[in-house]
Amino acid sequence: MSEFALLTLLIGALSLIAIGIGGLVLSRNLFRIVLALSLAEAGANLLLVLVGFRRDAIAPIIEQGHALTATMVDPIPQAMVLTAIVIGVGVQALALSLAIRAYVAYGTLDMNVMRSRMETDISDAAGAQPATSQHAPAGGRPLPPISAPRLAHNKGAQG
Amino acid sequence: MLTRYGALLFAAGFAFLLFVLFTSQPLGAPTMLAGQAVLNEAAGTVGAANIVTAVVLAYRGIDTLGELSILFAAATAVGLVLGRSHGKQASGEATEPGGFILRAGSDLLFPLLLVVGFYIIVHGHLTPGGGFQGGVVLAAAFVLPVLARPSETVSHAAMAWVEGLAGTAFIATGLAALAVDHAFLAPLLGTGQLGALLSGGTLPLLYLAVGLKVGAELASLLLRMTEEESGT
Amino acid sequence: MNPSFIALVVALPLLAAFLLPLVPKVLRRLVGPLVLLVVAALGMALWQASLSEPLVLAVGGFRPPLGIVFYVDSVAALFVLAVALVTLLLWPWGGDASENLDRKQSLTLVLAAACAGLTVSGDLFNVYVFYELAAVTSYGLAAGSRTAAAQVATFRYVILGSLGSLLALIGITLIYFRSGTLNLAHLADLAPQTLHDPLGLAAFFLILLGLGVKAELFLVNTWAPEVYATAEARVSALLAGLVSKLALLVVARLLVLVFPLPEAREALLVLGMLGMISGEFAAYRARDIKRMLAWSSIGQLGAAFIAFAIPGPAGVAAGLAIALHHLVVKPALFLLAERWGGSLARLAGAARRSPLGAALFALFALSLIGVPPLPGFWAKYLLLSGLAAQPDNLYLLAGLVVLVTTVVEAVYLFRVVGVMYGREAKGEDAGLTNTGSANTQPASALAGSGVFAALLLAAALAAPLLAAPLGRMATQMSDGAAYVARVLPSTATLSGAAQ
Repeated sequence: MSEFALLTLLIGALSLIAIGIGGLVLSRNLFRIVLALSLAEAGANLLLVLVGFRRDAIAPIIEQGHALTATMVDPIPQAMVLTAIVIGVGVQALALSLAIRAYVAYGTLDMNVMRSRMETDISDAAGAQPATSQHAPAGGRPLPPISAPRLAHNKGAQG
Repeated sequence: MLTRYGALLFAAGFAFLLFVLFTSQPLGAPTMLAGQAVLNEAAGTVGAANIVTAVVLAYRGIDTLGELSILFAAATAVGLVLGRSHGKQASGEATEPGGFILRAGSDLLFPLLLVVGFYIIVHGHLTPGGGFQGGVVLAAAFVLPVLARPSETVSHAAMAWVEGLAGTAFIATGLAALAVDHAFLAPLLGTGQLGALLSGGTLPLLYLAVGLKVGAELASLLLRMTEEESGT
Repeated sequence: MNPSFIALVVALPLLAAFLLPLVPKVLRRLVGPLVLLVVAALGMALWQASLSEPLVLAVGGFRPPLGIVFYVDSVAALFVLAVALVTLLLWPWGGDASENLDRKQSLTLVLAAACAGLTVSGDLFNVYVFYELAAVTSYGLAAGSRTAAAQVATFRYVILGSLGSLLALIGITLIYFRSGTLNLAHLADLAPQTLHDPLGLAAFFLILLGLGVKAELFLVNTWAPEVYATAEARVSALLAGLVSKLALLVVARLLVLVFPLPEAREALLVLGMLGMISGEFAAYRARDIKRMLAWSSIGQLGAAFIAFAIPGPAGVAAGLAIALHHLVVKPALFLLAERWGGSLARLAGAARRSPLGAALFALFALSLIGVPPLPGFWAKYLLLSGLAAQPDNLYLLAGLVVLVTTVVEAVYLFRVVGVMYGREAKGEDAGLTNTGSANTQPASALAGSGVFAALLLAAALAAPLLAAPLGRMATQMSDGAAYVARVLPSTATLSGAAQ
């Protein structure tokens, strides 16, 4: 593989990571956040494969008829990628199921709205006044008012 | 607005930092201290023609056990979150069955997917593929009929048995090695003829357990989500 | 003791978790506790065996840099024991529908296996796998209270945790890219030539941030107050008490073995100080008891990070003392907090309604502050004397931070104790108090924290006796060269194979 192709792959992997992290920070929609996460993970996995790549080498599989001494790429990153992909699948499934439940309970997929409702719920449960200044984001943005009726509130508890 | 640009700047800067780090030494010429040693001796000591399989199941077998446990934990956690009890019918009775093409297609594909899935699993130590890849195909085989006929659900109890027993089989193979060889998860039963279907000692058995476990976990994950969807 | 038994501390809880749903109903509730008792016994045996010399197990019989190594020194063995005992004390005995209880018990067993794996693993990627395993089970347990608020809090926790894991994975990729190996001993051997440069440091910071999510490190700890306020007390206790300590232990191991660099220590020191300041001041401002405990836990872990930043055995000893002290105190406080629940105002008159609970709370609070005969004092004493012995001004600053935050800690904890022993709330608050004190499992929570209190008092009485083993454990753990020599008896065989 040429130097150019390798650099392209590296830039591709890093772009996926950058897009993923950017999306993770910027998105407010829960589903998009999960998508951004899986993009970033894909980038990291690509990076891992790339690290094990070796010029003019074959896949680490011994085929009948081939000499045992053929140059092969590093098998360890490939095994690591397999593990990392499976881990990613499990975490994403869990994140999605939580998003489904949260959507059913609060009737929204907007992270900011959800977060303010969560704060209200916590304060209600504790019987304390919400300490806005303490939980508001760093920029001091005001929390959005909770005007819409809570859709099927606490439905999650009955399941 | 400022936070948006800040976040974009941060992501781009992070990627640039990684770019500098990953070009600090030539790509395509890995150091391969452990990797080369594995390449040299895997065929002799493990007997799997697919060296990645030798790494996944033998050299780093405990990673694979952890990985299976992660899938298990994720499936259990999803069950806890979505919380529909086993065997309880989802309120999806009203859901229309799929069209003719979907139903006929899924009937045709089901046996094919099973065959392909098992083929990939049992040849995992010889060719690209293995328990994870084959397990995903198996999971697809069991999810497809549910897409075609949403009212027919696969029994969660049966799924739980496959999950439990496949995981147990993996650990039991490891414990057998502990009893025989004093090393947890050491390959047993010799190496056999390199490249033959019955070679690599216990590796094909381990991969079979992995395949069944992955198939059952993924299928139960997907089915739980489809039930949730049709139930609300 | 035969080192091959080390694998059992991971394998047995996993096996039990896989089989739990298939065990007949009559026996099902016994499986988990029995397995944890076995693991505790193994941990005890390992501890005795490893005090003289660490044990090494090449998993699968593959020689070290190729396969994965489990390494048990006395610190690891002690943490295996702690993992088994703490999970047993915080075991989900009931309070749920049978099926969800099965799931929670399975998850708790998997969490125990993951924590045990984290303590014994000697392979960087294997650490990552066990860390992820602990993460996924924590997510599941945190969502286990099944309220909508808990689900949102857990979702945010999952996203932050996954971002952390991603960074850690990139860090591991960087290390593998540079050094071509994952074995910690091998990395320690190669580090001076390959990893003590900007690339290695970048990799360390990425891994630090990644593991820091669970260890409640400053910057990546925003999940903690939300999750601890919404999860069951048992789960908060597990996460704050146990899981955070194991992430911390892994960071400490990496620091000792692979990155014994001043830059890495300074980073730990600064992040630890920021964690202490932000945590303790936020705890001072918190109005409900669970969040107060969550923030205070962030502060305490900051202190542990500061301690591990001190080079040599003194730092490791202080770090271990703080970590173990917090491991005992914080779960007990969370269990007690569940009894009263909610806002600080509801605590008024708690001492009259539950004299024993209030007395225990006061005891743990005193130890957390560091009042002399209690173990918390010795932990802080070790930390401060370790910091004072360092010539660098940054360490003196850290000592100052520890002293100042201790005052803050004392103020808010005494305030709580004062409210508890104060007069009953009057007027409209009285109604609140009654609903607030409706607790679900008072007896088991009280019993659990009673056991922790007994441990604490035993440690207070035996403090002079504990100094020697602690010192030996710290010396053993801080000796990177011995680790390398023990795991890789001769590096010659490897380089021969690599050619």
